[in-house]
Amino acid sequence: YWKFLSGADALQEGPGGVTVPRAGLKKYVLPPDYSGITFPERTKLKFMDKVPAVPKVRREPRQLRDIRGPSREATDFTQGQYGILALGGGYLHWGHFEMIRLTIGRSMDPKTMFAIWRVPAPYKPVTRKSLGHRMGGGKGPIDHYVTAVKSGRLVVEVGGRCEFEEVKPFLTQVARKLPFPAIPISRDGLEQMRQKEEEKRLNNQNPWTFERIVTANMLGMRKYLSPYDLQLKGRYWGKFFLKHRL
Amino acid sequence: APVAKMAALRGGGAPWRRGWLPALQLVRHGSKAVTRHWKAMHFQRQKLMAVTEYMAPRPAIPPCCLAPKKEKVEEDNGYARLLRRQVEEAFRDNRMIAVCQYNSMPGEDMVLMRHYLRKHNIEVKFVLNEIIRPMLSQSKYKNLLPLFVARNILLVSPETKVKEMLRVLKGVPQINLLGACIDNTILSRQGVENFAKLPSLEAAQGQTVGALALLPSQTSSLLQGGSAHLTALLDEHIRRLQAGETGSPDESAPAQSSG
Repeated sequence: YWKFLSGADALQEGPGGVTVPRAGLKKYVLPPDYSGITFPERTKLKFMDKVPAVPKVRREPRQLRDIRGPSREATDFTQGQYGILALGGGYLHWGHFEMIRLTIGRSMDPKTMFAIWRVPAPYKPVTRKSLGHRMGGGKGPIDHYVTAVKSGRLVVEVGGRCEFEEVKPFLTQVARKLPFPAIPISRDGLEQMRQKEEEKRLNNQNPWTFERIVTANMLGMRKYLSPYDLQLKGRYWGKFFLKHRL
Repeated sequence: APVAKMAALRGGGAPWRRGWLPALQLVRHGSKAVTRHWKAMHFQRQKLMAVTEYMAPRPAIPPCCLAPKKEKVEEDNGYARLLRRQVEEAFRDNRMIAVCQYNSMPGEDMVLMRHYLRKHNIEVKFVLNEIIRPMLSQSKYKNLLPLFVARNILLVSPETKVKEMLRVLKGVPQINLLGACIDNTILSRQGVENFAKLPSLEAAQGQTVGALALLPSQTSSLLQGGSAHLTALLDEHIRRLQAGETGSPDESAPAQSSG
């Protein structure tokens, strides 16, 4: 009932004299409400194969456009409350998948939390020529498979009866090891990020925006820009996502 | 890249255009759009990126110069409301409310003190300053406000048994009486002691009645003085006669003395 607001002893001797402690009413915080959470069948992350069940015979061209630009899939949360958001494009191979699976499996409690993949198993074949050979001689054989990840995509989702502060340490640990910049994020955090972006877009004092100049082709800028810049609007450069633009 | 150089040496194709610089044109056949490294941007593109940067809004008056922030009044806790109601009831139902300073006491001493006070129908209540202070400042007990500073307790009772209360509190050195509100009169510590020294209500009533009845009783005694004196003399005479009967009986003496 009594809760001392200052210090542990009854009287505080200080330069200003002796202060009398004040006891205040303890305000009880209600515990968080985890009512609307459904757990999937397997709470731990599924094992991802190195090679898909039907390995590809035909070697595919590089197609780096699956790294470029913003992601169109897996941008929002489905089951979980927290996740890792990719802020750049890149390829995830089996080593990354194992690292994620093991780190998250080690750090989370399978009884109270669950985690799900938001990226598919490696499907894109990557060829490598054997070391020490000159150019030419055809395309090399398939070396390994990767998954392409664009910026703005969620890699894993974690949920359950837990708070963001519990989940954040191991998610940051995982995010640092990924080949592209990534951050742990919650549903609120994502909403806030999008809201801030909107606000920035609305209260931008600069009358000249990249989008405006490119769509109107002012000063013939399109000569120096790619046709994709009409959609990318200066926020993406190669596989990089320029967070501080606009 | 080597193709363009060869074209330059040959003197045909792209290089014949004026303003051809190897640095600019070689970039065309350099790396792809998506690279692992940060691809060098064309200078015009760099200029465009610099021009179209985000500019944050700057209000005309900086926000620190504007009106100061109003402190948020916290929402009323249900528990706080319950405590407030209890305190209001205590103030309403009881005739005597004594405010005492509370220093930490051993548990068993506390229980004993409560027991003794309970015997005299005095209840010990713990109150929180942050609830009582706003309540008192709005009610008629404003002068009790300076008492509720540090840890304190309320001794409430429907009867006013101040003497017993003081006796119990004297045996407990950790509880010091600060003040009391008895029958809607605020008394200090001295006032409480004086109040204890007063006689009880019945005795005071008896005293008042006695004082009021003093004059009439004097008047009645004056009026009855003569006849009382006569009665006393007669009684004395009878007594003497009865004492003289054993010696020599004298019947004419009472007839002579009554005349």
